[in-house]
Amino acid sequence: MNAQTAITEGHVDAPKGNYLTNGSTLASWLLTKDHKRIAIMYLISVSAFFMMGGLYAATIRLELLTPASDMVETATYNKVFTQHGILMIFFFLIPSIPAILGNFLLPLMIGAKDLALPRINLISLYIYWLGGGLTLFALMQGGVDTGWTFYTPYSTTFSNSFVMFVGLGIFINGFSSILTGLNFIVTIHTMRAPGMTWFRMPLFVWAHYATSLVMILGTPVVAITVLLLAIERATHVGIFDPSIGGDPILFQHMFWFYSHPAVYIMILPGMGVISELISNFSRKKIFGYEFIAFSSIAIAVFGFLVWGHHMFVSGQSIYAGMVFSFLTMVVAVPSAIKMFNWTATLYKGSISFDTPMLYAIGFMGLFLIGGLTGLFLGSMGLTVHLTDTYFVVAHFHYVMVGGQVIAYLGGIHYWWPKMTGRMYSEFWGKISAMLVFVGFNLTFFPQFILGYQGMPRRYAAYPEELQVLNIFSTAGASVLGIGLIMPAIYLTHSLIFGKKAEDNPWMHPGLEWRTTSPPPTENFDVMPVVTWEAYEFGEESGLDLEGAKRRDAATIA
Amino acid sequence: MSTHETSDKFVYHEPGLQHQFEDMGQQEESVSIGMWMFLVQEILFFGGLFTAYLVFRSKYPMAFAAGSNHLDAFWGGLNTLVLIVSSLTMALTVYYAQKNNRSMQVIMIVLTMFFGAAFLGVKAIEYTDKYNHGLIPVAGLNKKIKDDKTAHSTGHEKPCWEVDHNAPAVEHPNPRGEFQWTDCSLVKLAQDKNYLTESEKTGYFVKDETGAAKIDPDKFRDKVRIFFFLYFVMTGLHALHMVVGLGLMLWLLWTAFRGHYTSEYYMPVEMSGLYWHFVDIVWIFLFPLLYLLGRHFLAAH
Repeated sequence: MNAQTAITEGHVDAPKGNYLTNGSTLASWLLTKDHKRIAIMYLISVSAFFMMGGLYAATIRLELLTPASDMVETATYNKVFTQHGILMIFFFLIPSIPAILGNFLLPLMIGAKDLALPRINLISLYIYWLGGGLTLFALMQGGVDTGWTFYTPYSTTFSNSFVMFVGLGIFINGFSSILTGLNFIVTIHTMRAPGMTWFRMPLFVWAHYATSLVMILGTPVVAITVLLLAIERATHVGIFDPSIGGDPILFQHMFWFYSHPAVYIMILPGMGVISELISNFSRKKIFGYEFIAFSSIAIAVFGFLVWGHHMFVSGQSIYAGMVFSFLTMVVAVPSAIKMFNWTATLYKGSISFDTPMLYAIGFMGLFLIGGLTGLFLGSMGLTVHLTDTYFVVAHFHYVMVGGQVIAYLGGIHYWWPKMTGRMYSEFWGKISAMLVFVGFNLTFFPQFILGYQGMPRRYAAYPEELQVLNIFSTAGASVLGIGLIMPAIYLTHSLIFGKKAEDNPWMHPGLEWRTTSPPPTENFDVMPVVTWEAYEFGEESGLDLEGAKRRDAATIA
Repeated sequence: MSTHETSDKFVYHEPGLQHQFEDMGQQEESVSIGMWMFLVQEILFFGGLFTAYLVFRSKYPMAFAAGSNHLDAFWGGLNTLVLIVSSLTMALTVYYAQKNNRSMQVIMIVLTMFFGAAFLGVKAIEYTDKYNHGLIPVAGLNKKIKDDKTAHSTGHEKPCWEVDHNAPAVEHPNPRGEFQWTDCSLVKLAQDKNYLTESEKTGYFVKDETGAAKIDPDKFRDKVRIFFFLYFVMTGLHALHMVVGLGLMLWLLWTAFRGHYTSEYYMPVEMSGLYWHFVDIVWIFLFPLLYLLGRHFLAAH
């Protein structure tokens, strides 16, 4: 509908457009200020990075199929695991849920027409492309072999690789996530629809508020750190390199001051998604709304006080270690609050096992294991044995993949009808959700045992007695790979052949379901007024439950 | 609000109101929070640098004092003054925008830009001075001075801790434009008065044949070099922020000249002002940390 028809025909009968049909030229996408289109562009770019990171992961698992370092040289292997980490963390995990689902849903969920600063939102996408492009350029020139943490003096003295370019790429990319976080905070503060009070916001929004705080407070520090590292590489002045008077521990402090909170950037949005999914598929108001909301904020705050637990064995004083060890245990409290509240929400709920719910249940199990093994690593005594072993690798994959990636997939399925206006195939969805769960556990559970037996991370070769478990792990990775490729296929397929989605296929009271699927460019035809509490699944929130029952009966008949 | 949903034309009620907002109040609040959040991230950005400064200064106070004494407190002080005055003119710009006074707005913006440019000019003078004296911490970026045997200084043979501060400055040959540092008198001073830190006791000295600790001018030079590295990164990033600020001012000048800002709508002026004041405040911290700390050692000689 354009302005002309609006004048001549009035607003009632004119055919409705949506954000996808509002302009089809390349420029209408690249110059858009619509948060939904920007989210879709993020989805495509982030998926590309995920695929590249996945290929590196496949290389790692294939190399570790045999004890000898035979498939790739050890020097190449160093580059493979480094680049797997860099692509997955900076270009997939950190932007995954915030920049895609957050961007798309946050304004819809609070009843706004757009994010508060749409131009900044588009700029952040361009910055992401610029940083990603520079990093890819560096990888094609020869890549880096320092590990994703860029520890000095690996990254200053011993590495002949393209540390400077990758550092600059990450520096630039950091500002993308800063601007996204800034935009979210402003939007949540000022753009809520009438009646959408702070404690009526979906928990997804609370989780993104906490994430945004971390993005704004943490990312600039790592930006300046990698900038200093890049300048040090270029000028050979010692700031982190001990051989010319620098301080390598300072690098670790500055790096982890961001990179530990960044771990929470990589899990908090996932927790937000899970709160939505658990509540919706139990058809029940979430248990302990305020506790879940504030536990997100608590995780963001405590997250800034525990970075030293990455440095227990690398030259930090033992007293600092004890403090960090204690504070690390404290973070377990808000995480546990979330777990217990989700479980309590399930209790006596009317649970249905749709695809997103399978992911949500999977998340709860996997995050539980990931979280509990974190306690092992957080205690100073045990960690001396476990540092830099596969136990650590398994732990953070349980949190990052078992947590964030699973939540991301669950979220993508759950909101797919809203984003695209199409339903995906429920059958293939369930199959792939189960494959991902089984494949993931088969890949990473053996690694806990491997790590406990002393297999160090970041080596291309290992003793022969560890081969059986490594074969399990590689086999699991293949299953996981298939499970991850499947959604790419059936989701793309659904874009054209999928059943048209209703406006509210899940009968959820949230604002994002009260507009059309897909939503119009301005999100809502009429400014919504919120009169119900969050997760109110009854009639009082204005849902047409009777109508839904009639429709269901009609489909079954 | 029947034609609310599609065309921007029907949504604009007030000049400067963007489509995603309901009214000017909401827009102003959003922009303001956004700017403050941006400044918060800027604080952390510079905070990383201040942390690095703090760590190295507490490890090597003498090297930092020595480096600090080679910065010109006159130029630094002048620049502090220039920036404070520019903050005043910036604040007055906002004031005159609120008073609907277009010509005074323009004058104040021009003044702010003048002081900003003056600051950068002084910075250029200082950087040139460092270039001429071999104080840029990167090899090859300093002025290359040929090794002229006849003009060779005599002060060079003396031990580095006996450099005469009152003697006229000598140009040391520097054929490859390297970082140069010949004065380690502060190490001697600290050693005599016994206030070297643990890091300094290993960081400035080598063991000679007898096993006694001896001041190593090269090791000391490397520590002073860290000071100048931090000096250039910190003031360089600050100057970069000034350049961005000048760009903002240029845009502000053009829009103010065309009369965009009134007592009803002056948000862009206020926001640019916030940024400008922030950059000033960073300098207020940089100046004492880089120029003033350790100056009392000059009087000790």
